[in-house]
Amino acid sequence: MTPSSFYHENGGRKFFQNVERMYTNKHEWILIDGKTGTVGISHYAQDALGDVVYAQLPDVGTEVLKKDECGALESVKAASELYCPLSGRVIEKNAAVEETPALINQSCYEKGWLFKIELTNPDELKELMTESEYENFLKTDAH
Amino acid sequence: MAQNFVQGSIVKLQRIAITGMKRNKPLALSSMKFCNYSSSAQQGSEEAKVAGTVKSVFISQSNDIFTNLALEDWLYRNFDFTNHHILLLWQNSPAVVIGRHQNPWLEANTAVLSEHGIEIARRNSGGGTVYHDRGNLNLTFFTPREHYSRKNNLQLICRALLREWGLKTEISPREDIVSGNYKQISGTAAKLGRPNAYHHCTLLVDVDKVKLGHALHKHNKGIKTNATQSIPSPVMNLCDLNSHVKMEKLLASIGWEYLRTDPYSAEDKGEDFIGKQRGFQFINPTDQWFPGLEKLRAEFASWGWRFGKSPKFNVTRTFRVPRELLSKDELTDQELSITIDVNKGVVEDVLLTVPPRLAAAKGFSGQAQVVTSLRGQQFSEEAITMLQKALSELESPEQTRNEFVVHCMRQVVTSI
Repeated sequence: MTPSSFYHENGGRKFFQNVERMYTNKHEWILIDGKTGTVGISHYAQDALGDVVYAQLPDVGTEVLKKDECGALESVKAASELYCPLSGRVIEKNAAVEETPALINQSCYEKGWLFKIELTNPDELKELMTESEYENFLKTDAH
Repeated sequence: MAQNFVQGSIVKLQRIAITGMKRNKPLALSSMKFCNYSSSAQQGSEEAKVAGTVKSVFISQSNDIFTNLALEDWLYRNFDFTNHHILLLWQNSPAVVIGRHQNPWLEANTAVLSEHGIEIARRNSGGGTVYHDRGNLNLTFFTPREHYSRKNNLQLICRALLREWGLKTEISPREDIVSGNYKQISGTAAKLGRPNAYHHCTLLVDVDKVKLGHALHKHNKGIKTNATQSIPSPVMNLCDLNSHVKMEKLLASIGWEYLRTDPYSAEDKGEDFIGKQRGFQFINPTDQWFPGLEKLRAEFASWGWRFGKSPKFNVTRTFRVPRELLSKDELTDQELSITIDVNKGVVEDVLLTVPPRLAAAKGFSGQAQVVTSLRGQQFSEEAITMLQKALSELESPEQTRNEFVVHCMRQVVTSI
């Protein structure tokens, strides 16, 4: 657990309150607010993709498991898989991004968010990287 | 992810002799080394780790587009390419293949295709629509994600063409292979996942260009969508560049070039490098060798994947109303406009804009029936038949008007 996130109990259920994004080794980020997580891709990922021409996002109501393929981003001729950072149920997808996929390139942390999930297993958050851990990860060969 | 298989019998490969360009002596292909398809139990894995990555050329024995797409997907999902890169070579009976996020009605003449027994398929990678027949060679280069390189693969193909036939080809700025006069001889697309990735491309050897033109002919169909759209490009066959280019030789020539190319530096390492690789292997894509393949094939062949997966769209057409349906004092032409909203291949809504004269004339009541009977139907001829049935149950004074509307509806659906 990092100093920037704190853990509190609320009526017997545990919630994480993060003030920063958490990252996966597949270059997705997730921002938690109570039981909801907003998912997007990192600057590194959008840069590597090139101009996104189509975003295929998971439908509302879809149950997803951590690391599942849940959609795709198409840039010039390559379709890149989207993976789900944590398990949950999709509660919203970003219609603006479906309409204008370029938002992902222009604003991958703000307007270019992809979809929101209701977490089913908040403990999984421990397995993700903090922003500084992610930055270090980018410097290694492993990515 | 990986599956372990029971080791089967060794398949003997026929000898493919190639004349080495430099030394002018035949290069006989060594008999195929046994290859276990599992990932963790790769035969000689210790050797592979010490020697580095090895390469194989797999040649599919199937000509069915859905089986080959399933095989490609199976390898992508199940094989561990860490120390073993693969080039899959495959050919299909006539088929139109659209990109993952495309609209088949927009990209091809779906009615014409079914008349001629040409399949329509959707692949998993991005990019535009292509036409396959037995004169087209498909190549899929499989690697782990971090070693994906489209450019290296295309350069390898150009080298093979130069080496075998002295053909000079180039890679265009859009990363397609073009002949000297900028006609496309290959189309490329890719799928990037973790840990695996693949780049696949076509090579036009001796494709029926007339059929290609008919199958891919696009005209204004009144479709509005944010689906990705193809960029049409003039094409030519390799056999137009050099009449000696034949499919069998091409398979061997590209296979050899692949085996002699270093998997990381993409340099040509010469003939001797080939001896360290796994060689060629004919693949029989069956569920027995690839458990789960049948299920993948069924998915690729399903209506839901091929048509239902299309991004939502609407199609609008307008029709002039025949004079006899309007009142006698009507002087100007009137138009009926139909907009059909389709989502997941199913009609979501229908908007009929009926000219006032038609609507007013003896109370046109077909509208509601049109909309309710079409909603939820697959966007196809069957939907119109349902509609016709629903409207025919109305009282006869409405018949000619209803028939006209049905006729227009049919035009919208079948003409695209």
